[in-house]
Amino acid sequence: MRSSDWFPWILGVGVGLLAGVFYAWRVNPVSYTQTDPTSLRADFRMDYLALIASAHAGTGDLGRAQARLAVFGAEAIGETLGALAQQRLASGYPEAEARALAGLAAALGERPSGLPLSTTGTPGATPVRPITSTPRPVRTPQATSTRALTPTPGAPFQLTRQQLLCEAEAVPPRLQVQVLDASGRGVPAMEIRIIWDQGSDRFFTGLKPELGAGYADFTLQPGFAYTVELPGSSALVTGLELETCDAGQGGTFDGSWLLVFSQPAR
Amino acid sequence: MPRFLPRFLLGLALGLAAGLLYGWVIQPVEYVDTAPNTLDAQYRTDYVLMVSETYGAERDLGRAQLRLASLGPEPPLEKVEAAILYAVEHGSSSDDLATLNRLAVDLRALSPPTQAQSS
Repeated sequence: MRSSDWFPWILGVGVGLLAGVFYAWRVNPVSYTQTDPTSLRADFRMDYLALIASAHAGTGDLGRAQARLAVFGAEAIGETLGALAQQRLASGYPEAEARALAGLAAALGERPSGLPLSTTGTPGATPVRPITSTPRPVRTPQATSTRALTPTPGAPFQLTRQQLLCEAEAVPPRLQVQVLDASGRGVPAMEIRIIWDQGSDRFFTGLKPELGAGYADFTLQPGFAYTVELPGSSALVTGLELETCDAGQGGTFDGSWLLVFSQPAR
Repeated sequence: MPRFLPRFLLGLALGLAAGLLYGWVIQPVEYVDTAPNTLDAQYRTDYVLMVSETYGAERDLGRAQLRLASLGPEPPLEKVEAAILYAVEHGSSSDDLATLNRLAVDLRALSPPTQAQSS
């Protein structure tokens, strides 16, 4: 075959390709319709997840929430929701939304009973940043949420355990809180108020579902005396300060505090 | 010339076929970074339903409108009505329809009344 015999072929293919691209890009360009939520831009996808959580908080229909989340196909969706709750709370989104996300995260990531409380968390679990890591100056009081997730109905919570934990030298000392209902199950989305001489803050249970639905923590700073309150109950712990633990060989470190609030069994 | 045209046309057809094969099979379009207004009708309807369910608990119409705004520039009421229509056509439960309808009623109450045209 002579080289001039190839010319019509090459010209035809070239023109055909150009025509195809012209058709695809200019005449009949792709229109983004009929997409599904997984294709959403990251910020819209987070809004979508938050909306799923808000709808779940409104209806309490976990099965429907799971069906809606199934489209995302993520295995650790509970952790994603928990992290998103913290992120949104820190970014000033409505508190109700963060609580809804925390509530759904807790509902999805139920901790097996008997899992030990540990500041190091479940082995292999992704560390989740606490809501607030350091005490902050006093802020203008914020309006409290008009609607809260309702804890298990029952008697008011009482402080049932207060213990200094000297087992985790590596992490900053924390106030660890467990809120349990009358049957011993963790209660998510419970607000805990903490006050010190230069300010106050709030944090919520259930934002670290891998540590339990009723778990919350707060990083303690040296030199402060804290008061911890579980709103809506008579439970109040005052004068909570860092205390040193013996690290052996003459060394010391600051221990963490564990507070367990429980509803008395009827 | 008589031999040129058939070869050219055959090449053209091959080129087009190759382009379509590449665009549709080898490297198909992937939808990423889209906005909620591109969602399929099924998901749009579910989105509106979620807004309605949340509204049922929060009773915050402003926030419901804000959430609906993500679905595009149409008035919020239109979006809810479209969702109701889809839900009816696809046999949604009466509870879901009632939830959607409650939001539609409250949005309709906000809308300015239609003024009669005077000639």
